[in-house]
Amino acid sequence: MDTINNPKRFILVGAGGIGTWLAAGLVRLLEWKFPGSALVIVDGDTFEEKNKERQDFTKLGNKAVVKATELVPQFTKTTIIPIPKWVVDDSFSGVVDEDTPKIRATDLIRENDVVFAVVDNFAARKIIFDAAAKLDNIDVFTGGNDDDLFGSIYHYQKRDSQEITAHPAEFHPEYHNPPDKNPGELSCQERSEIEGGTQLLATNMAVASFILGRVQKTIVSNQSPEETEIFFDLGLGKSEPYDRTHSYLNQNQTVNV
Amino acid sequence: MDTSSTSASQPNRSTGMANIRYGVYNQPSNIAGKTIKEVRDQFGKIWGIPTDAVAYCGKDKLDENAVVQPGQNVEFHRRAGEKG
Repeated sequence: MDTINNPKRFILVGAGGIGTWLAAGLVRLLEWKFPGSALVIVDGDTFEEKNKERQDFTKLGNKAVVKATELVPQFTKTTIIPIPKWVVDDSFSGVVDEDTPKIRATDLIRENDVVFAVVDNFAARKIIFDAAAKLDNIDVFTGGNDDDLFGSIYHYQKRDSQEITAHPAEFHPEYHNPPDKNPGELSCQERSEIEGGTQLLATNMAVASFILGRVQKTIVSNQSPEETEIFFDLGLGKSEPYDRTHSYLNQNQTVNV
Repeated sequence: MDTSSTSASQPNRSTGMANIRYGVYNQPSNIAGKTIKEVRDQFGKIWGIPTDAVAYCGKDKLDENAVVQPGQNVEFHRRAGEKG
């Protein structure tokens, strides 16, 4: 497949424990596989000294701006655009304009985008998936981990208005009733009180690597997203793919055992 | 969709192998003929399946009294990774 004349727009939402490592991979992939593409980095949060244990950055400041500033001089064939804002839902009741650190998901994502929702809460993930579900052609990759060595990723894909893979809410009740809150809809005081947990660098990097692997297969090589959801446990040395394509889910679910 | 057609009250309790999955675990096992509750009791502790993890066969939700059929692919849904 000729990727050279097929520039992409990658939207990376979240430049933290997973996002900073994923950014390093995505920008290289765009630079060499899809020259002339754009990498949009979205995050309203700021890098702090304590984040250095498992996040990749060289300066303190807004995560989107710092990360973009680091990447721009290194990669000349990719346009890197920082958006220092939190993503919010269409129903968000507060002010959302150019002067506020908020952006509606439906204003951020557009047709044919490849979106990476690597935030730290289900509420924001759901907002992004719901906005994507309104489009006809879209890919959304998400990933997350627990505070130990477990993690998972998911790939939602639509083509010509048809869902190729199921919306993750079909399999995850945590999307219907998120146990957390979208930081973009909290006050600064409330955001500062959120505990970052005790995540591990290895798990953050593994989530980024699994997502990058899926991008290589399904976007660069344009193959089927049948390994739609992957669970892994670095402690056990195991990973397991699940097929969430509608073509598979509509089949008789029996196996040869 | 509930698969009430495989409820425990029905006589069809064919035994044999079926496949059970949860998170990183995927194992053929001699669970056909057992109810979802019995399967959960058998694998819950060793795999750490929470009591509220819902069992599915494809898109179909299986209630606790549903009987596993031979060759069926039963999955207890695992919560996704949250942090990042």
